[in-house]
Amino acid sequence: MTRFTASLLAAAFAAAVSPGLHAQWPLYPKPGVPKGADGTVNATAPAPRTADGRPDLSGIWMRTTRTEKPGSAPAGQPPLASFNDAGAGMKGGLPYQPWAAQVMKKRLAEHGLDNPDSLCLPQGPMMFHLDPQPKEIIQLPHKTVMIHESNYMIRTVYTDGRKLPPQGEPQPYWHGYSVGRWDGETLVVETNNYRGDGWLDFSGSPFTDAMRLTERFRRVNFGNLHIDVTIDDPKAYTRPFTVRVEQVVVADGSELIEFICHENQQFLKMTGRQ
Amino acid sequence: MPRTVRILLSVAIAAAFAPPLAAQWARVAPPGVPRNADGSVNMRAPAPRTADGRLDLSGIWERSTRTEKPGEAPPGRPPLATFANLGVNMVGGLPYQPWAKELSNKRVANQRFDNPDALCLPQGPLQYHLDPQPRQIYQMPQRTLFIYESNYGRRTIYTDGRPLPKQGEPQPTWHGYSIGRWDADTFVVESNNFRGVQGGHPGDAWLDQLGSPYTDALHLTERFRRVNFGNLEIDVTVDDPKAYTRPFTVRVEHVIVADGWEMVEFICHENQMFLKMTGRQ
Repeated sequence: MTRFTASLLAAAFAAAVSPGLHAQWPLYPKPGVPKGADGTVNATAPAPRTADGRPDLSGIWMRTTRTEKPGSAPAGQPPLASFNDAGAGMKGGLPYQPWAAQVMKKRLAEHGLDNPDSLCLPQGPMMFHLDPQPKEIIQLPHKTVMIHESNYMIRTVYTDGRKLPPQGEPQPYWHGYSVGRWDGETLVVETNNYRGDGWLDFSGSPFTDAMRLTERFRRVNFGNLHIDVTIDDPKAYTRPFTVRVEQVVVADGSELIEFICHENQQFLKMTGRQ
Repeated sequence: MPRTVRILLSVAIAAAFAPPLAAQWARVAPPGVPRNADGSVNMRAPAPRTADGRLDLSGIWERSTRTEKPGEAPPGRPPLATFANLGVNMVGGLPYQPWAKELSNKRVANQRFDNPDALCLPQGPLQYHLDPQPRQIYQMPQRTLFIYESNYGRRTIYTDGRPLPKQGEPQPTWHGYSIGRWDADTFVVESNNFRGVQGGHPGDAWLDQLGSPYTDALHLTERFRRVNFGNLEIDVTVDDPKAYTRPFTVRVEHVIVADGWEMVEFICHENQMFLKMTGRQ
């Protein structure tokens, strides 16, 4: 099979196996969902708050369907990232170091043959944010847990006041080490200790173990979560850059379901590796 | 490669790859841990409670090191299950239906070639309970979440009063569908909609390392009791008339991890040696 065919098939397969929120799982709407007069979810109602008065980011979230042309972000907003290209909304694209641009081009030319996502390995941090599968945030007193339906991701953001550990200590992880703190109404999450051989986006934009990720989460109202992500990775990019992720709440009672990504793994078979 | 070598290697690999809690992860002790005068964790202090007065099962738990001889469970206690053999301490072993016994024999004779655990697929419900890797319970108002470090296990126990759905609706899953309710100080979890053995595929539905199977008729009842700060006892009743001639109950015991170790990531199928060793990759 040619690589091109394999790539197309992989895309088709990914679409076919992505379990929709609307599988046959029963709907159980959660208490406290604000509704309009017509009974629909009032997405612009105020964001809920936890007992300690912070905005509560808890909920199931899906990426927004909003799109943007490069360089056309509304004033004061970072350019919108996409699953395919973290720099999709940036004029001129991502500020790659030359080697990083080479890596990305090679990965594209190989039709994503070694994309960890296709291999059911952990996605990069931006891919988790932008994957079409839903994700859930559980905000607890000393930590915030983020569970992504895709590729088994569970990420803990420690909010107990601890500091980021130096790079390399602990052993770097696919998901990195994350600490969070509140800056007014914004949860600021800083992460380091990434492994550094990952993919930022489906095109294969790389990141290294020098990456320091800063995510600023703002739940602007009941239905909308804005995440401004700053990537500071001087080994792979000539300057830090900030992109926007937007998510909308899922409040119709749908729940995360299990996604056993590497069960009957067709991508490995199609690419002759199993 | 001879099968004996293969199985020895797979055990060695499993041991080598199980990320100990003691990896290089920073230790930050959780708040509210009761201490003895010497500073050690007071395992026998009263169990914590949530704001609504229920026992709080939240925490990181590891399987107990207690062992038992068959038929010698303390009075009133179900026989202790092990990861290797669920019925090891039941006199006469598990009450298999003939086909289930045969399937278990076949799986063992085949050196566990299709063990979902070795393939990094979800473990069976008792394997998750008894795996040497830790698990974390998050008890919340409308549900309780179980996160298992092994094999990406994640299970939601709905406690919002909903009933169990009918078998087959929703589509059965590896982890099943679970609801929980409190019976005084015991958290009772009932589950159905497990995938179970489907057409006899050797990789389906293992309760233990003997490959004791279960079917889509499995109705699992787990009774969780946090008897004190440090100890969690789980009595698990397996009711699966297709695979077993009668329901049976076994005991799982966990001890708390309260010294600041945290769950780490375990990317089970990264550099998957079992597939390579068994010639499948």
